Amino acid sequence: MEGMTYLTIAYLGMILGLGIWTWTVVTRSRNLQSRIEALEDSLGLKDFESDILAKEANGNE
Amino acid sequence: MRVRHGEVLLATGFLGIMTTLFLALKWAPSVSIDAFASPAAQRIFYWHVPSAWAAFIAFSVLFVGSALWVFKRSPTGWRLHVAGSEASLACGLMAVWSGCVWGAAEWGTPWDWSDVRLNTFGLLTLLALFLVLGRQSQPDGIESRDTFSTFGLYGFVLVPITYIATRIWQIRHPGPVIGGGEDSSLSSDMGLVLLLGAISFTILIAGHMVMSARITEYEQRLERLQNKVDGRI
Repeated sequence: MEGMTYLTIAYLGMILGLGIWTWTVVTRSRNLQSRIEALEDSLGLKDFESDILAKEANGNE
Repeated sequence: MRVRHGEVLLATGFLGIMTTLFLALKWAPSVSIDAFASPAAQRIFYWHVPSAWAAFIAFSVLFVGSALWVFKRSPTGWRLHVAGSEASLACGLMAVWSGCVWGAAEWGTPWDWSDVRLNTFGLLTLLALFLVLGRQSQPDGIESRDTFSTFGLYGFVLVPITYIATRIWQIRHPGPVIGGGEDSSLSSDMGLVLLLGAISFTILIAGHMVMSARITEYEQRLERLQNKVDGRI
């Protein structure tokens, strides 16, 4: 039984870690989205071009 | 209402992983007490193998993304690079951690510096750590993207070496349980739980990569919007 207790604790620790990581990613995405929407609304813009570095790199090739 | 594919994948994968772990602890058959020093700890295999499998998928995405950035200057390639490196780090740490837990119970030591499989996989995880921390500590620029993508591109060489390591040099890490010839065998019930775990981890990591790519896109949009507000565009 001691082995199973040890294993259950290890499993719960890993699930907790995975859950925290997943929750952090989802909240970060939602926060960024709401900030972008607020900025786009205040500037009167829609679907602003995102990656200028890729454009710059392609232009320099 | 917009369908959020990333969140749906994450929820499905998480549910599958919880089911896998419940079945691993309550339903999967025990291994022979003669073959293992710690038979109960063997059940960590249902977490360890799927997380290592997911890590290989993530390293493949990292490789493809790095190649697309280096050769095509593709913005999607850079997002795949970022998503692949973050997912590789998470899955790599899960596989290393679960392996250490099993090693401590079965071998009496969490790590063996003479085992090729352990060390090449450890190096891959360190590579992912370098890419994630390096990207966060450097300003985003073409040169820094080129540097990190080059590491992602050439670091991938460790993936096939890690895969074949236990087939060529079996030192401490057990040999393959599937596709390893006559020596590899798994009961059908064990195989079923392992399959469910592999599918669940694949779905979860796909969800994480979708979310990560989306976050990178949002960060780039936000930075550009900020520049516009500041009058630099």
